[in-house]
Amino acid sequence: MGSDKSKMKSRVPLGSILLQKGTAVGMIGLILILGIRSPAFFELNNLMDVLKQGCVLTLIALSQTIVLIAGGFDMSAGALLQLTANLAAGSIAGGRGTAFVLIVGLAAGVLAGAINSLLVVQLKIPAFVATLGMMLAMSGVALYYNEGRAITLYDKPAFFFIGQGYVGVIPFLFIILLVVLAALHLFLKNTRTGMQMYAVGENEQAAQLRGISRKKALYTAFIIGGAIVGVTGVFQASYNYGASAVSTGMDFLLNALAAALLGTTYSKTGELSVIGTSISAMFISSLSNVLICNGVSNLLQPGLLGMILVASVLLTVVKKREIGQITIF
Amino acid sequence: MKHNWAENLRTAGQDNNRKFHFAGFIRENGVILGMVLVLIVFGLINHKFFAVKNLVNVLNQSSLLIIMSIGMMFAMSVRAVDLSIAQIADISGLLAALLLLNKAPVWAVFLVPLLFCAAAGLINCLLVSYLGVPSIIATLGSMLIIRSIELTMTNGAEAQILFTLPKKVTKAFFFFGTGSIGPIPFLIIFTAIVVSATHFIRHKTVLGREMDAIGIQVRVAFLSGINVKLVFGSAFIIGSILSGISGIAMVSRTGSAVPRSVESYLMECFVSVYLGMILSKKNRMNVIGTAAGAIFVGLIGNWITLMGLGAPYKYIINGVIILIALSIGAMKKSDC
Repeated sequence: MGSDKSKMKSRVPLGSILLQKGTAVGMIGLILILGIRSPAFFELNNLMDVLKQGCVLTLIALSQTIVLIAGGFDMSAGALLQLTANLAAGSIAGGRGTAFVLIVGLAAGVLAGAINSLLVVQLKIPAFVATLGMMLAMSGVALYYNEGRAITLYDKPAFFFIGQGYVGVIPFLFIILLVVLAALHLFLKNTRTGMQMYAVGENEQAAQLRGISRKKALYTAFIIGGAIVGVTGVFQASYNYGASAVSTGMDFLLNALAAALLGTTYSKTGELSVIGTSISAMFISSLSNVLICNGVSNLLQPGLLGMILVASVLLTVVKKREIGQITIF
Repeated sequence: MKHNWAENLRTAGQDNNRKFHFAGFIRENGVILGMVLVLIVFGLINHKFFAVKNLVNVLNQSSLLIIMSIGMMFAMSVRAVDLSIAQIADISGLLAALLLLNKAPVWAVFLVPLLFCAAAGLINCLLVSYLGVPSIIATLGSMLIIRSIELTMTNGAEAQILFTLPKKVTKAFFFFGTGSIGPIPFLIIFTAIVVSATHFIRHKTVLGREMDAIGIQVRVAFLSGINVKLVFGSAFIIGSILSGISGIAMVSRTGSAVPRSVESYLMECFVSVYLGMILSKKNRMNVIGTAAGAIFVGLIGNWITLMGLGAPYKYIINGVIILIALSIGAMKKSDC
């Protein structure tokens, strides 16, 4: 008996270690390999640029992750980002201060999140379609605001510091990201509300039977998610020196979604995690840059991302016997 | 006293007073009433909306969305999602255009894209049903891969113009999208046939029933002896073929294939399927409802264009109408 026990203790399943570290190693390794092939990637300017761009995508992906954790779905994240970016750019161009636009962005995000959760919780509209409707509405408002034209900003050093400034060698945006990431991770893993959100997302009926309020979980998730995206829109306007004319933000949404879904491959059970999402989002963001540095056509980038997404998840699910249904409706 | 309980049992659930419950009526039929009301108001505001020529035009234009939405509905009705459906329609039309430009025979112009779509659907099916990848991930991945294929084939989304080709080459192909049989456009007749056929497949055959079962409770379906993997996967193949048809129809109608132009239809597909769901009595996704939803979406878009409202209004009005329709529909659901 004793020898059996010691055998079991020392037999750590190689598969699960590989899986947990494997995805991170694979992602970082791929970027490093491609980067070494083309040293232009590692030039400080380029790296810093990639880092800053990655921060915006990561923040959106984090917002998407929280909503997904609570069992919701946020189609409107991209549109909200574009809306607050436009509002911020327009306000700055109109002479408003940086603090003002940050508050406006935050408020808009919280409001959008509140409306989303209202639609889902009170009116019982499936999250998928409720946020789809909100996406259309917000896109329309953004288009109405910017009249179909990009808003470009000039000579606003105080505002540009958010997106382009550095603290020492580290981009300010990256510091913001780390703070948000740490806060979210602690919130989700170490507080009761956070764990309740996981519970509601995993198995709604079981959570309900345990007395966990789905309402509270969804409200919290959508509002926090909305707040993050709202503020990130302001960051985007700062980084991008303005706001773009496109209003649906579909590219951001799809990449953020892909990042959140790739983040599930970091755990054996396919659990969503903010750290997994962050690494995946940084990976996706740097992927297109490193591919271009390597001379790979930009046209292939979506396809490569798609293959990586499917391959990564495939490794996680291949042992299960279920069919790929999802219950986001 | 003795037979009262039997009498009570028999009449339980019937409203013997036969009072017309207004609130109940609204709740039951609120959505369709609302939609008809919106259309009437639209027509009153702009009389051109109700012109027969306009309505026929809308029906013609909506055929793309109708067929694609039905394809999406198959996947959604088994509790999956097919994000690649619009991209498949896109590449299908593109392939048809490329074949026509390269002087392929007409039968190939129609058949080859459909074969490609069936293959794409098969890959989705294998990934989702047999390998167990969640459908949102698998179809997101296949959507991105197909996007890259399209971009590479067309050198970065160059439009493929067909209407400059000699009439002899394009006549047969264009008949599909622009021809008429008598006063009725061929496309409308074709769409009606497709709707009837898919309605039959989805609601009147064993396969359709099995799909119903999977959509409700997959474990029970499996234990009942349904080949869950096959039926679940077939929803994706059917969806891909349908969206392939709609892609070819679009190119045939407009005379050119602009890559990535169909991508925006993805959202409208979701809207149509959901509208179809809340139009049904039991809140189940269904073919006819989806077609009606697609037509409704087309009508709204048409009215907005007739009113000369710009893109912002189109987005906002679409969004608001969806939300209102779904709120009313959700009120109906909470009854049972």
